[in-house]
Amino acid sequence: MKAFRKYWTILRISLQNAFVYRSNVLGGLVFFLIFMFVFFNLWRAIYQSGEVAGYSLVQMVWYLCMTELIMFGCRTGIFSQMNEDVKSGSIAYQLNRPYHYVWYQFFNALGGMVFNLLIYGLMAVIMAMIMVGPIPGFNFATLPLSLISMMLAMFINFFFLMALGLTAFRLEENTAFYLIYQKLVFMLGMFIPVEFLPGWLQAITRYLPFPYMTWAPARLIVAFSWELFWSVVPVQLLWFGLSVILSMAIYRHGVAGIQAHGG
Amino acid sequence: MSAIHVENLSKVYRTRIKEEGLKASFKALFKPVYKEVQAVDDISFTVEQGEILAFIGPNGAGKSTTIKMLTGILHPTSGRISVLGLDPAEERKKLSYRIGTVFGQKSQLWFHLPPIDSFVLLGAIYDVDKKTLNKRISELTELFELGDILQTPVRKLSLGQRIRCEVAASLLHEPDILFLDEPTIGLDVVVKQSIRQLILRMNRERGTTIFLTSHDAGDVEQICKRAVVIDQGRIILDQPIKNLKYHYLNRKIIAVRFEYPQHLEVPEGVKLEKSTDISARLSVDTRICTIDSAMRWLIAQGGVADITVENPPMEEIIASIFRHKEGRIQ
Repeated sequence: MKAFRKYWTILRISLQNAFVYRSNVLGGLVFFLIFMFVFFNLWRAIYQSGEVAGYSLVQMVWYLCMTELIMFGCRTGIFSQMNEDVKSGSIAYQLNRPYHYVWYQFFNALGGMVFNLLIYGLMAVIMAMIMVGPIPGFNFATLPLSLISMMLAMFINFFFLMALGLTAFRLEENTAFYLIYQKLVFMLGMFIPVEFLPGWLQAITRYLPFPYMTWAPARLIVAFSWELFWSVVPVQLLWFGLSVILSMAIYRHGVAGIQAHGG
Repeated sequence: MSAIHVENLSKVYRTRIKEEGLKASFKALFKPVYKEVQAVDDISFTVEQGEILAFIGPNGAGKSTTIKMLTGILHPTSGRISVLGLDPAEERKKLSYRIGTVFGQKSQLWFHLPPIDSFVLLGAIYDVDKKTLNKRISELTELFELGDILQTPVRKLSLGQRIRCEVAASLLHEPDILFLDEPTIGLDVVVKQSIRQLILRMNRERGTTIFLTSHDAGDVEQICKRAVVIDQGRIILDQPIKNLKYHYLNRKIIAVRFEYPQHLEVPEGVKLEKSTDISARLSVDTRICTIDSAMRWLIAQGGVADITVENPPMEEIIASIFRHKEGRIQ
């Protein structure tokens, strides 16, 4: 009960903070808009007619809106924040508190994620409606299920980012991990659906976490099927668990040898 | 029981050396070269419950490293620490309920939210129940005169107001020991004074043990009964503040500028350290000549345009500690 109150309060305050600290939202919205507009035109040019690998133009645009939404939703700056906290020494305030640091960071970011999801979600839906209109045959009854998958996708991405960020406890320079990670997320599901990848790459990608951060929920939204749901959500749960365990392990290893800078 | 007990504590940092040039950078990629820095070097001391201890030294002496080890953030390279009977590195979480920390140069408050929100969050983190928390907040509001600023976003507070909130924030869970790392850094004289008063009151009214680091001799003089002086990771002095004051904090520096050229004949206890026609830097031995009489004498010279009175910098105090020690050995 006490633990519940603790983490709930963290979530509440961080959500409050997200609403007060709005200045970075506007920039994000503009960026989102430009990004969607450019890719909408690109896809429209590619799609002269019909379907590509099982996606119509309408589905493709919605797909992109959803993967973008997930990525923007996760924009809590967890990676750079951790780096900065270690380098500036602010980490000293966060470590000697009676909570689990990893869960603290999670609930702290969750406020921002909920806020982002509301703002960018609205934006994504409006833009997709304007550009291509509704998805033919969309069933609202299955939306909550797709949203569960979307939530899991965000959590997986968040915990992998946190795991990368936590390496700052031991390493002076870890930005390279982040850049590589970002590119992989972009190529393996965010920018193009997994079905578009060459067969050999698809086969490898199936065993990586990346498609489960973007492709799985976006595909569920644009073409829901129970078969797909049961084949991706358990895998998402597995990756979620693994990403949490990875973060915890890196945290435990890192905190024992942390080099706190900044006087 | 003593509040803090430290035995033969050492901390060695390992940092990577980066040589200049592309070739060296490339080599470092495969075979990094490390340099070891001894931040804290075999120190031992004890702090009794209810004591106010000043831990002083110049920048980079190892003060913050020591505080971080005492609070469990850094793990010592060797030696033993006991804080309230706990081992900070092993029992960090348990210890965290019983200690409070303030790092003068960092903030624990949410920058965009009013301090009250941070207080509520900290209350939840430390499992303080709502009723007790509200009571604590109103007590601290009164003691620290927080009034209106409790509802003002932190980014709009002055540094002095913010530090008052920072100190209050670290007292919400009624810690037995309060660690203050440079709490008065960057504050003006008046605010410094009020923070010092608050710390003293906390100690008197609640019996909170206070461990304070500072490179400001003023902090130490006024609130501490005992001082440990640390330089390059080693303790060079551990004495009651009375001794320190008499032997090493007995000087003030007066810088003065005149409107027209002056020739100064200094009285006893005053030393002319540097001078030009129209300015001078004087060192006053307050055991012989009080600041009051030194100022009277200066004003009597006529034509004073500007005066500042300062404590000698920490580095000078340390140099005189070393001189004193050597003098005794010879």
